[in-house]
Amino acid sequence: MNYPAELKYSKSHEWVKMQGDVAVIGISDFAQDALGDVVFINLPGVGDSVDMGAAFGDVESVKAVSDLVSPVSGEIIEVNEALADAPEMLNSDPYGSWIIKVSGITSTEDLLDAAAYEAFCAEEA
Amino acid sequence: MGELKRTQLYDIHVSSGATMVDFGGWEMPVQYPTGIVAEHLYTRHVCSLFDVSHMGRLLIEGPDRIKFLQHVVSSNVMGLDLNKAQYCIIPDEDGSAIDDAYLYCFEDDRLLLVVNASNTDKDIAHLNKYLKDYDCTITNITAEYASIAVQGPKSKDMLMELAGGAALTEPVKNALNTLTMEGRKVLIAKTGYTGEPLGYEVFIKSADAEWMWNRLIELGAKPAGLGARDTLRLEAGMPLYGHEMGLDPNGVPMPIFAVSLARFAVSFSPQKGDYVGREFLAKQYEAFKRVNNRDFSDLAALPRRIMPITLLDKGVMRGGMAVYQGEKQVGWVTSGTMVPYYVTEGEGLQTEILDETAKRAIGMSYIDCNILEDDVVEVDVRGKRLKAVIPPYHMRVDAPPFARPILYRPKEAEKAVFAEDNMPKATALLKKALDNHLWRQRRCINLIPSENTPSRAVQMLCASDPAFRYAEHRKVKSFYDSDIFYYQGTKFIDEVERNLVEQMRQYLGCREVETRVISGQMSNAATFSALVDWKNRLDRKHDAKRLGYVLNNHIIKGGHLSAQPMGALRDYIAVDPVTERSAVVNFPVCPDNTYKIDVEETKKVIEKYRPELIIFGKSMVLHKEPVAAIRKFVDEQGIPTTIMYDMAHVLGLIGDSFQKPFEEGAEIVTGSTHKTFFGSQRGVIGVNYKKDELKYGLWETIESRAFPGSVSNHHLGSQLGLLMAAYEMNQFKAEYQKAIIDSAKHFAKCLKAEGLNVAGDPAIDYTETHQVIVSVGYGIGPEIAERLEQNNVIVNYQATPDEEGFTASGALRMGVSEMVRFGFTFDDFKKLASLMADCILRNKDISEDVARLRSEHLEMQYCFKGKEFEAALAGLIENLGV
Repeated sequence: MNYPAELKYSKSHEWVKMQGDVAVIGISDFAQDALGDVVFINLPGVGDSVDMGAAFGDVESVKAVSDLVSPVSGEIIEVNEALADAPEMLNSDPYGSWIIKVSGITSTEDLLDAAAYEAFCAEEA
Repeated sequence: MGELKRTQLYDIHVSSGATMVDFGGWEMPVQYPTGIVAEHLYTRHVCSLFDVSHMGRLLIEGPDRIKFLQHVVSSNVMGLDLNKAQYCIIPDEDGSAIDDAYLYCFEDDRLLLVVNASNTDKDIAHLNKYLKDYDCTITNITAEYASIAVQGPKSKDMLMELAGGAALTEPVKNALNTLTMEGRKVLIAKTGYTGEPLGYEVFIKSADAEWMWNRLIELGAKPAGLGARDTLRLEAGMPLYGHEMGLDPNGVPMPIFAVSLARFAVSFSPQKGDYVGREFLAKQYEAFKRVNNRDFSDLAALPRRIMPITLLDKGVMRGGMAVYQGEKQVGWVTSGTMVPYYVTEGEGLQTEILDETAKRAIGMSYIDCNILEDDVVEVDVRGKRLKAVIPPYHMRVDAPPFARPILYRPKEAEKAVFAEDNMPKATALLKKALDNHLWRQRRCINLIPSENTPSRAVQMLCASDPAFRYAEHRKVKSFYDSDIFYYQGTKFIDEVERNLVEQMRQYLGCREVETRVISGQMSNAATFSALVDWKNRLDRKHDAKRLGYVLNNHIIKGGHLSAQPMGALRDYIAVDPVTERSAVVNFPVCPDNTYKIDVEETKKVIEKYRPELIIFGKSMVLHKEPVAAIRKFVDEQGIPTTIMYDMAHVLGLIGDSFQKPFEEGAEIVTGSTHKTFFGSQRGVIGVNYKKDELKYGLWETIESRAFPGSVSNHHLGSQLGLLMAAYEMNQFKAEYQKAIIDSAKHFAKCLKAEGLNVAGDPAIDYTETHQVIVSVGYGIGPEIAERLEQNNVIVNYQATPDEEGFTASGALRMGVSEMVRFGFTFDDFKKLASLMADCILRNKDISEDVARLRSEHLEMQYCFKGKEFEAALAGLIENLGV
């Protein structure tokens, strides 16, 4: 399992990368592995607002559906539409496959660094 | 997970990196590192292994085992033969399902019942409630035996490799066998839960489980987990207990007949008697029949049924989601997910499966009975209404070796037809017809064994005046059985028909002949109809009883389509009330030569079933049929039966070089007149009953079932042509027949020498008929036949006795008759064999070489020549305006 050090992580298994005041959000390697083959993603629209701790979309694997939970509140400025046609990229390249970019961030949950997240995952497994 | 049970293969799963989960109290692999999608696709494309050792294996033994099972399972256990399996349901008293199960008969004295893992304890407790009244036992052998499902198009090759090349089972669903593989005993069943047309489940001693798993992995199979097992069975439309059976999301038991498969798994045979849940199942069945006739007036016993469902909007359905039509909830999704499939290109037999894959959101639903195929509904996907449709099915398995995904296609609007000037089409038709004629007659080598080109005289007579006339006639007893014609202008055709009957009597070697039937299939249908009519002649106050047991050649072993229940036998064959199947039994074939009837085994079958009718004859035919041996046997045993020989393919071979059916003891011969025989396309029936015999009445019935039973206009032009063909045949048969059989043997040997895989017994030079069978590779028969056509060689692809059906054909069927008639010599057949090997084995373009070889043989042989004959023919041709 891969936990890149430059990223922050939520307890609901999203990763966040801050680019200036923009948060780039995806799902972690641990999340994709637990989901299994991702076969569908419900993406939000550009301009939608997201709330910290609330679902902004969902991913379906063959086995189950799982909500995508936003670790920040703000406005979506960009959506990775390529995932709609190739959701399996979330399995093959979870950290290369960002899902949304959020700006105008008003609040951010307490995110974990890589080491803390790895420990958290070890507990969950 | 310390409490969970583990299968014999647990260590292998863990070391393969499987994700293990609790499944019905068992610690099972849900997926391996490649994931469910890859496992699903590998199963459809190659072959996957599924550990199904967790399923409950219960051995039922003792004298009352059948009586007991008849009482506790839904199926007709009396209809389960040795080495066959059947799907069944374990019903509860109220007609709901305790479980669904598979019943296997590997041995005469015991039955194996395989049940769902999570239900095993419940099932045993339920069965034990009824056991005390029966002298039999239930032994749980789940721990002693392991079970592996080997599923996918390559499964057969892989298992055959382990079996040292031995045939696995009969190539039909639910067939079983017991084999030794690398020194180990293996029980093998052609069953599975993936829908794969090639798929097996094996039962082995627990100690052999790892060996079998590892050997199959070495041969290229890959492991697949419960996740793929679920997506595969869903795509195949197979029910899963707990989803499509058992309780609905409101906790109400679902009727067994909600699953349409129940129709085959539930029996109401009087022989089965009363059994657990029968009364309620009978009510469900009545409702099932009403609903399928679109009568929705009384849905109490069957309010909803299981139907496939396909999402039209983007998204994924899951079990438990509500289905709506308008504002009304009409049911639930019972299972749903996104399943992958291989994209295809092209149409029909030329459909090519690409490497490209895609996914589709499909499921099964439990919905109101008045929701029909193609109806659009909505599924509540987490608060969002997504559009969905009820497709006929998600997948078809009737074109082996592959399971074919069926994507939902909306019904096309009917095209309006507009009147237009047909003159250009008419002219084009003439030109195309000429092109086709010249191609088939001058450039093509035709090796279709059921075809022949008739002589020019036969062709011209077929086109002459009687071709447009009627000549209905029948014998009238008031006139001492004189034939009375209904129309004038028929004196010529009357004479023609009399002469034709005379020639055919001489040719067939029998007393009576009917020539008005216009095809081989009609010959059989008229004969079967007559047999039924004659059987019922003394009781006209009840519905006619159909024919009881009929012994014939199985279609897979080369039997004629027209002698099968799916062909001309359909309306004349009874259903055996014990087995609830068509009362047909098949000739056993020799274990070392599946093209040949096994006479000794046939005798046992005849003694057991005492068939009313024995039908010899095949359309894939390399051997003589053992008519004399079987005649002798039935006479000695005093078994009343009728022996019929459908000689459609070999009618032109009757004589010293092949068989004389009536001398050997056949009573009825049917056939078509245009395969090895020289004629126009018609049928013929000959019988050998004497006027003073009781069965002469059967002959008279055959005549009346020909006319007026089958034909009114019996195609007088081709009847006239057939008379000429009969003259030719009786004149030239000795040389022609010898040339046919010698040429076929020679052609077979040449093909073999060229490195082709010629089927049959080398000891007799592969064939005793006009046919030669060449195996080209499993499933690629159609492709090779198409390639040969592009190279001007016309053959037909053919499934051999080990293959599942025509799309899985691995062979070519060829006949030498037409080319012999065009004067092909041994040397020509040798050249042809060499060219064909170039085309089949080396994909070489042989089209011009073939056309050249054909062009050297344009003059027909074995027909009348000479000045006077040719002058008369020229006169006919001139006056026909040709």
